[in-house]
Amino acid sequence: MPLIVVGVNHRTAPVDVRERLSVSPSRIVETLDDLRTLDGINGAAVLSTCNRVEAIVSAAAEDVIEPIVEWLTQRAGTNRAELEKHVYILRHGDVLKHLFRVASGLDSMIVGEPQIAGQVRAAFLASRELGALDSLLSQVFDQTMRVAKRVRTDTGIGEHAVSVPYAAVELAKKIFGDLRKLNVLIVGAGEMAELTAEHLAGFDVQHVFVANRALDRARELAQRFHGVAMQFDAVPSYLKECDIVIVSTAAPHFVIESEHVAHAMATRRRRNLFLIDLSVPRNIDPEIANIDGAYLYNIDDLQQVADSNRELRMQKAHEAEEIVEREVDGFRRRLVAQDAVPTIVELQGRLEDIRTHELEKCLRRMGPVSADQRAAVEQLSTQLVNKILHYPILQLKEAEEPAERETLRKTIRKIFGLR
Amino acid sequence: MSPNLTLYTALALYAAGTVMALATLFTREKRPQHVALGMMIAGFVAHTFWIGTICVRTGHPPLTNLPEAVGFIAWTIFAVEIALFIRYRVHAASFFVYPLVLMLLTLSAVVHEPFIKTPAGISRLFITHIFLTTIGVAGLLIGLAFGALAWAQDRALKTKNRGALWDWIPSLNVCKTVSYRALAIGFSVYTLGILAGILWSYRTTAGLMDLRVKQIGAVIAWILFAIVLQAYINDTYRTRRTAVIGACAFVAIMVAILGIHHV
Repeated sequence: MPLIVVGVNHRTAPVDVRERLSVSPSRIVETLDDLRTLDGINGAAVLSTCNRVEAIVSAAAEDVIEPIVEWLTQRAGTNRAELEKHVYILRHGDVLKHLFRVASGLDSMIVGEPQIAGQVRAAFLASRELGALDSLLSQVFDQTMRVAKRVRTDTGIGEHAVSVPYAAVELAKKIFGDLRKLNVLIVGAGEMAELTAEHLAGFDVQHVFVANRALDRARELAQRFHGVAMQFDAVPSYLKECDIVIVSTAAPHFVIESEHVAHAMATRRRRNLFLIDLSVPRNIDPEIANIDGAYLYNIDDLQQVADSNRELRMQKAHEAEEIVEREVDGFRRRLVAQDAVPTIVELQGRLEDIRTHELEKCLRRMGPVSADQRAAVEQLSTQLVNKILHYPILQLKEAEEPAERETLRKTIRKIFGLR
Repeated sequence: MSPNLTLYTALALYAAGTVMALATLFTREKRPQHVALGMMIAGFVAHTFWIGTICVRTGHPPLTNLPEAVGFIAWTIFAVEIALFIRYRVHAASFFVYPLVLMLLTLSAVVHEPFIKTPAGISRLFITHIFLTTIGVAGLLIGLAFGALAWAQDRALKTKNRGALWDWIPSLNVCKTVSYRALAIGFSVYTLGILAGILWSYRTTAGLMDLRVKQIGAVIAWILFAIVLQAYINDTYRTRRTAVIGACAFVAIMVAILGIHHV
């Protein structure tokens, strides 16, 4: 039974094509129902993210591809020739490899990004809830999620941050571990500081304090993070309360001096302080890096962390590709073997019938025989049947292409007179 | 199963686990680290059997001569390591703890001293002394291992140069907390163990202690660990001085362990 993927992604289609094809979660039911009305489709799922839209189907035959492309053309509201420039069509083993790679984040714009696994899961679960997954697609889905998990666990591909705000969060976790009991102080209202604070706030930090020269802006930002706005001049006195300090102002001088931090550290009693300077020119005195328990990172340091993490991810991606290759190979073998099972069982049954029938006839002709003699004849007949079956079964299990497998199955059924 | 067989099985599994864990320092792969942990746990099971057989054969805890005591210290260290791993998922400690456990058990295997079947000199006080000292030493060594991790993490964060251990080390706070607690608990128990030892010595020889290698090593280790613990309390553990004193404390404790003789 062929597996087919027809779709577009960030590499093959510009955003205006992808957005016309994209399916919002609220319309997934309708879209799946629509797709399943096409002749020859046994099971279907639709994966729609900002980077890709794909129809994943199991079908009776490959001739279902044409109607799917036509269906996509209609959805895109464009002409067929135009859409064909962007569409890719994958079959059989390529589908498995593609799905495993996609769910593992290897086909993503940012390699290793973790969200895609959840999106693939959601797409298949939506389809399963609608009863649109047949047994083959169901197995493919389960295996896809297993492979994605294995890739993440074995390679750690998604563990390291590749953007500056995430790099800051990663470092904060390396210093404090649990971020929940921490206080964050944001000084200034730069875009990067806001982003970093947003990521940190996502970890349920205890308090967020915002200091800005324009108090209105500080209040606005504080409201976003359910925090407290404060006077800019009060920053040094808050250093002893806060664990993470993010500074991003346009000031041409240091906003936080070495003495401020030295004084704060004296009263913090074994608590570390993480300072993030996202300003250019720098707003935190670099001398602070020499104070025990204070960890200072500027924008270049964070960028360097993000860059080296990106390189690391590319190395991990090679390991991940190897895992995917092995998993595709193993799963394809299992699917082929499973597909051949009914024919194999029938074939074995047929030859077993012949064997027992002929054995009985032979034993009747031989007259009285000892138990040993009977066992020897039985063993001979069983071995003969096993030898005869060995190669047909092997061929059935190893034929990877559906067309080849179908031909083989028909031939075997004909030769051995199976119904 | 014969004691020697279980001991050598434990050793072989510990050796394989240690080599595999150390190899992940270069490969940074997680799977071999998990396999290494599995081998170490299998080794720990064999190790436990070995200790059990000693208890059955001699009728008292395995604490009366060097091979027994060293084997028991290694067992305790690994038990604490497993507990910490379950709580904090700290793989990095394995780079210190596994070789240490392997080294101690190897000592146990190569040093031959006869099993004591009817230990005349073994009193409850003596067993208490050895038991507390052993637990204390295990705590102190774990504290040192996590202290080394905290130091490595602090250096990596300060210099912005992530070393080979970066991915394996938990947060600085976890390293500091575990190290501090292990040192504090280990030091308290070790102190009680030494006091019990002094009392036992007083009862058996009518003197507080004689000046053999193990006693001198134990007292020096106690002083050095007190300094290290004080550095943690004052948050000055990052200094070179503390690192040197920690290393000296490790050597002193090893001298004290190697100085153990049968009663």
